[in-house]
Amino acid sequence: MIWNFLRSTSRAPAVLAGTALVLSLSIAPANAQKAEPCIAGSWELTGALAHTGLAIKMGIDAAVDEINEAGGVLGQKLRVIAYDDQGEPSRAVDNARRIGERDNCIIMIGGYRTPNALAIRTVLNEIGQPWMGVISAGTRVIEWESGKNEWMFRVSAKDRWVAPFLVDHALQRTKAKKIGFMFEATGWGQGAVPDVEAAAKAKGTALVGKETFNIADQDMSAQLIRLRDAGADTLIFYTVDRETDAILRSMDRIGYKPTIVSAWGIGVQLGKTAGPLTEGVLVHGTFAWTGQLSPRAQKVWERIKAKEKLKDPSELVLPSGTANAYDAVYIIAEALKIAGAYDKKKLRDAFYQVKYEGIIANYDPAFEKTVERHDAILPAHYKLLAYHKGILLPVAQTPHALRF
Amino acid sequence: MGEILQYLLTGLSLGGIYALVALGFYIMWEASKAANFTHGDVYMFGAVLTVVLVEKGLPVLLAAPIAIAAAAVIGALVERLLVRPFNKEPNAIGWMLTTIAAGIMIESMATITYGPLGRPLPSPLAEQPIRFGGAGIYPQEMLLPIAAVAAMFGLEAFYRRTTLGRAMRAVAFNRTTAGLMGINPNRIALIAFALAAAIGALAGILIAPVVQAMPAMGTLIGLKAFGVAIVAGIANARGVVVVGICYGVIEKFIEGYISSGARNAVGFTLMILALLLFPQGIFGRREVVKV
Repeated sequence: MIWNFLRSTSRAPAVLAGTALVLSLSIAPANAQKAEPCIAGSWELTGALAHTGLAIKMGIDAAVDEINEAGGVLGQKLRVIAYDDQGEPSRAVDNARRIGERDNCIIMIGGYRTPNALAIRTVLNEIGQPWMGVISAGTRVIEWESGKNEWMFRVSAKDRWVAPFLVDHALQRTKAKKIGFMFEATGWGQGAVPDVEAAAKAKGTALVGKETFNIADQDMSAQLIRLRDAGADTLIFYTVDRETDAILRSMDRIGYKPTIVSAWGIGVQLGKTAGPLTEGVLVHGTFAWTGQLSPRAQKVWERIKAKEKLKDPSELVLPSGTANAYDAVYIIAEALKIAGAYDKKKLRDAFYQVKYEGIIANYDPAFEKTVERHDAILPAHYKLLAYHKGILLPVAQTPHALRF
Repeated sequence: MGEILQYLLTGLSLGGIYALVALGFYIMWEASKAANFTHGDVYMFGAVLTVVLVEKGLPVLLAAPIAIAAAAVIGALVERLLVRPFNKEPNAIGWMLTTIAAGIMIESMATITYGPLGRPLPSPLAEQPIRFGGAGIYPQEMLLPIAAVAAMFGLEAFYRRTTLGRAMRAVAFNRTTAGLMGINPNRIALIAFALAAAIGALAGILIAPVVQAMPAMGTLIGLKAFGVAIVAGIANARGVVVVGICYGVIEKFIEGYISSGARNAVGFTLMILALLLFPQGIFGRREVVKV
């Protein structure tokens, strides 16, 4: 039957052409890494930390809208695709495959959680998918144990650099020269222990106490009593909002008021729930939308405010994350321009040539060819924020700045 | 010394929560021989609804009774729609599935509408702790064991002195005979569930200023309070309150001297051991079933 069909001479060329086309399509993708102009992320959009996914998306949307209004990149408008992983590492892996293979997006954006970022390292390497982290500050996300990281970049903090930052500020403020450490019993908190201990040692001091607690704990009196009895007058925190609220209340009950220098697990939400108990607590961040803004940041805030129908910058619950995401998109756009095409390998190579002034820092250059420098934001760019009257502000804009 | 006092104080507060919520299980079990696994979520509902009403501008002394009343309505609806139709035979257990499912649904609905994050409920009693002997406690937290003991005495008076209370005892004693005496066991069950929900919601409202009201706050509390009720021998109000308060104190000591991670593991192990030693519950009585 097929032979009869093919014997008709007028059909043969069409069939031959069709066969050639199918064969060429099946060979081509192995060589080219041509990708779609979409920026896709696997974020926590529902569940306990849904506000983190939404905060990241806000920053990305603001940047993408600005860029598209100015004509897009390489003549194409960028699309944003959001997948929900509910904070589950296994879903993040599925989404990474979907983004890299089915959607074939030029770049994938990371989410809030370090465990999710760690889970997708192998998949990204296997597919050859560029990835840009915007929070997930765990050191191992970028600095792999094997020393080889070819596709993952990050515009965010690095825990190994955050620890010395926190220790420095703690040492500046401690009167008794006794620093303690309070951390949550998760991959993030426990992963920070060697970083903080090494940072303390490098400064010629040692932690007088190290206490941990579990997620959803409501009373940390036991741990705080031990830290208080060890004489710690300054504490470093690797904790998040909900448990920190319980910690502050436990401190209030026993009348223990140490200085607190915290990693960025705590934020706007804590100011709302713990109110006056947060006064003077210091937090590491990369950006604050409250207080005085640069003219460009002010415009970005106005855009986000209009689109998301917000009233006040204190409603941005993950201020550093939103700003990181914004700068990240612009760095990607710059790299695309240098690459000259929506090609994953060319984009990855172009990252090392990006110089860009964002709202957080002047990236000069954004990345270098060492695994350590796949992180764009340097310790010099880190900011110290402080709670004042329940609002998180740059420390210089509060009464808690050190006066020399 | 300060430590022991601290664990005792916070343990009394936590135990007060378990006691109040477990009392609810006791009331519902007596009236219908069914356990309501949405009970932890009405505890959450009371707190969350009060926070929402206060944010809308109502004074807390008005918002709290409204939330308690709304919780009572939910309790009644659970009995009517999720327990009664599945409790008709003597050994029916369909209500387990329906109430567990409804509990999960309530928590999910709350997460979608209220959001996952905790929100504060201001209270003058949660601002300044009372400190002595190296320990401290918020007056708000002491309200809980006080409320639990008050509820226990109040229930006893209710059961002994009021007609409705005596009708409830009659239904608990023998459902069929009570029906023959002109008491409507279904109506009694409905009222019992509403009352239990109101007490559970009260517990949530009392502790919310200290722990922040959030949708996830109820599930584990409900489970532990159910355990407490079983270990106490679910048919005894005083026993339930005593075991609840003791369990709270024990948990705090485990947290203090071992670790907070051990709290649930050791706590539940102790519950299992208690049941092995006292199969009817510590204060329970052996049930005699005539066949």
